[in-house]
Amino acid sequence: MSALIKLQDVYKIYSLEDVEVPAIDGISLEINQGDFVALIGPSGSGKSTVMNLIGCLDTATKGTIHLGSHNIQHLSESDLAQIRGKQIGFIFQTFNLIPSLHALDNVALPMLFQHIPKSARNKKAKKLLEQVGLADRMYHLPNQLSGGQRQRVAIARALINDPEIILADEPTGNLDTKTGEEIMKLLSSFHRQGKTIILVTHNPALTKLANKVIRMKDGQIMGG
Amino acid sequence: MNLDHVLIAVHSIRHRKLRSWLTVVGIIIGVAAIISLITVSRSLESTIQQQFEQFGANRIIISAKGFQGPGTMSQGLTTEDVDTIQKISGFKYVVPGLFRSAEVGFHGETGFTLIGALPAEQYRDFYADTGIELDRGKMIQEGDTHVALIGSRVAADMFGKEMGVGNKIIINKVNFKIIGIMKEIGNDHDDNQIAIPLETAREIFNEPERVDTIIAQVKSGADIPSLQHKIERELERKRGDTNFQVLTATQILEQINQVLGVMQVVLVGIAAISLLVGAIGIMNSMYTSVLERTKEIGIMKAIGARNSDILQIFLMESGLIGLVGGLLGSALGTAGALALGSFSKGAGFLLLVKIEISVLLFGLLFALVLGLLSGILPAYQAAKLKPVEALRYE
Ligand SMILES: Nc1ncnc2c1ncn2[C@@H]1O[C@H](COP(=O)(O)OP(=O)(O)OP(=O)(O)O)[C@@H](O)[C@H]1O
Ligand SMILES: [Mg+2]
Repeated sequence: MSALIKLQDVYKIYSLEDVEVPAIDGISLEINQGDFVALIGPSGSGKSTVMNLIGCLDTATKGTIHLGSHNIQHLSESDLAQIRGKQIGFIFQTFNLIPSLHALDNVALPMLFQHIPKSARNKKAKKLLEQVGLADRMYHLPNQLSGGQRQRVAIARALINDPEIILADEPTGNLDTKTGEEIMKLLSSFHRQGKTIILVTHNPALTKLANKVIRMKDGQIMGG
Repeated sequence: MNLDHVLIAVHSIRHRKLRSWLTVVGIIIGVAAIISLITVSRSLESTIQQQFEQFGANRIIISAKGFQGPGTMSQGLTTEDVDTIQKISGFKYVVPGLFRSAEVGFHGETGFTLIGALPAEQYRDFYADTGIELDRGKMIQEGDTHVALIGSRVAADMFGKEMGVGNKIIINKVNFKIIGIMKEIGNDHDDNQIAIPLETAREIFNEPERVDTIIAQVKSGADIPSLQHKIERELERKRGDTNFQVLTATQILEQINQVLGVMQVVLVGIAAISLLVGAIGIMNSMYTSVLERTKEIGIMKAIGARNSDILQIFLMESGLIGLVGGLLGSALGTAGALALGSFSKGAGFLLLVKIEISVLLFGLLFALVLGLLSGILPAYQAAKLKPVEALRYE
């Protein structure tokens, strides 16, 4: 079975004045359909950078990245937008909801960018909000929700276009332990439904849900 | 255009109410200033034009030129000059006018105002052609002496007590009887006058000969420029000097328009400055409001928005703000011009404010286009950032 996500000798180098900072220093990895991968490592080791590259939010300095059959280095900006919208669902540490839109509209927004009619969008968004336990918070603005509730809105948003891949960059980082556990339960239920999940975390306890753990240090994969 | 994008834009505008309103207020002020200045300046022009068309087109006005009076060589106009002009054919009538400022007494109070005098028998025709009407009482007519027609402001405001037909007034220490009150004419100068028969004025002011202005009303269809030349030729021949000027109403209008032109340049200059200040204000607030939301743009890109989606949303937003500002600004500017119009009326100066659709449209378009332009630049800059970079923006 060929890998769903494949990085070959990938570098991300930031040039600051005259020093070159290699945030990613030659990484190769493969992630298969249905994997639950935990990406751990100390702060500054390059975990977020890897996520951003896989999620087409950023471009690599060197190397190739394949998502399914696409070599993303060869795709146009609007093709990348399509991949971000349809194949990938992001969950960020800081939730990143649109402050002016209520929960329902936030969840439905990725479908809007796919030009799906409003009635279909709202139906699906309502269903997902019910699934994450926010049936009674659909018309709340982000600043009227708790951190855990916001993250659940973000999770519902990540799922709305049925992406194959869910990228979660420290999704529990801003939440207390109990709320964090609930979020992790949701993620692992999506894994059981067949989603491919990549989770960045500092917390070794959370890696036990994963079937594959990648340890990073100084922009490289340890023992990899 | 996509309705969904409009809705996102509307939500966003409503979400940051205060900032949106501040931006809108900036636009309103800019547009209102422009609209009111342009409207007032154009109304001024058309008011004067209209006033002249009302009574002036068929008139030739003769007045003395240069300094006059005792000790100067220059001789003012006299009744002889009136005779000279009356001998030329082509006029409906020729009216000599004498104007003096004089003390007026009424009910024990006194004050100064302008006294205008025409031959008693000519009032009826001259006032009819000039559009001056009586509010009450009757016109001065042939044979009348020591009677007066009172301008509307003199009657109403000059003395503690309002003047009425039949009342007695004292002009230059001589008793007169009020026989009529004029309707409001619309300018201070005319409404503050008292009209009396010329014959009586000659007695009380001790001016047996002098004439200040001669107005020659041209028969309809007559050739005005050629009559003007005839008057000039005859007067010069009879008087042996050129200390007079003969102007047609059109020429006077041209002179006024010249002065008005200078005024308009000033007004338009001020309008242009407010335009510029308004434009900079709009651009500044639009720019910061879009820049502030770079992170939101990053979020939208992360969940699948194309650059064109981002641009559409932000253009919609800045366009809407521009449109609302333009609408309210046009309304406020119009109200301002109208207010100035009624204020000027109260101050005794006639300004008929004319609201022009084209000026309003201009204000609206100006705000819209400026809003769009000042929104497009920061939105474009933010849209072309890599999503990570936009997301990192704080
Ligand atoms: N825009 C940038 N310019 C320069 N250097 C950067 C930039 N973004 C990241 N880096 C550097 O790249 C390295 C990796 O950063 P990254 O955010 O991937 O770390 P991380 O593993 O996610 O850390 P954390 O656990 O703290 O989130 C860091 O040393 C960081 O300083
Ligand atoms: Mg990180």
